[in-house]
Amino acid sequence: MAEIATVSTAVSWAPRGAWAGIAQPGSFGATGGAGVLATLLDGFGLATLIAAPGAAPALSRIVEARLGIALPQAPKIASGQAHDAIWAGPDQWLLRAASRDGFAGLLAELAPHGAVSDQSDARAAVRLSGPRVRDLLAKGVMLDLHPAAFAVGDVALTSIAHVGVQIWRLADGPDGSVFEILVPRSMAGSFWAWFTASAAEFGCAVTAAPVAGPR
Amino acid sequence: MRITCPHCGARDAQEFTYLGAADLKRPDGMAATEAAMTDYVYQRENPAGTHRELWYHGAGCHAWLVVTRDTRNHAIAAVEAAKSRKTGAAA
Repeated sequence: MAEIATVSTAVSWAPRGAWAGIAQPGSFGATGGAGVLATLLDGFGLATLIAAPGAAPALSRIVEARLGIALPQAPKIASGQAHDAIWAGPDQWLLRAASRDGFAGLLAELAPHGAVSDQSDARAAVRLSGPRVRDLLAKGVMLDLHPAAFAVGDVALTSIAHVGVQIWRLADGPDGSVFEILVPRSMAGSFWAWFTASAAEFGCAVTAAPVAGPR
Repeated sequence: MRITCPHCGARDAQEFTYLGAADLKRPDGMAATEAAMTDYVYQRENPAGTHRELWYHGAGCHAWLVVTRDTRNHAIAAVEAAKSRKTGAAA
């Protein structure tokens, strides 16, 4: 009997973050202090929740019981210990987990109440701060992001340079307003081209957030 | 022009896509005459004044809206979610 060939045809598959090959830590643009700070986010769990007709209260109850956060009924973000519920349209939300550990099990619990779809690898996320962050965003976002018009916890679905984005404001940091932006992964390159061109005049420092938990 | 989306607030019109008249009623397909179907498919009012029309908030919440707009000056009198309007069986 012939020896069974043991030549390995296996390809080594390694997960790639959404910013891989697009953005990397470093700095660019004007020198002499970064006007904009960009933190590349990766390794989070993300899912879309779309409540079945009439099932939004039930979905909200189970999320609240499980994670301690209610699904926001207005364009807001609700944050718990390790999860965020982000408004994404009428009866629609994004559920974000700091780590992907146990995320699939959580989604399975929510699934009976609507359309639940894991999008962890489908979006690229970046946190923007710095003293010139609103000057930067004014070049692409058509909304008024002044603190008087866009409060901490507010969420908006809009577009930047024709790329559909979801943007929300976190609690202020040392340099003022802090925003997070989510773009479709396939548009991350286009978004980053807009971002680098727009942020260059302010000087930008890019860092990568440490990834929480196993991918 | 800005449209005040009931979900997202006031947004630039470029976030939206226009469809057309909001209140067309499709005739009962098999029973309708050819003339009635032709009217439904092709004939449109072209009012100089108030017009109820469908807009899609594609760059925002992805909801269909019914916008009541004055075609002479683009003044918008009302915006409602298309989902929430009362519709007849044939709508």
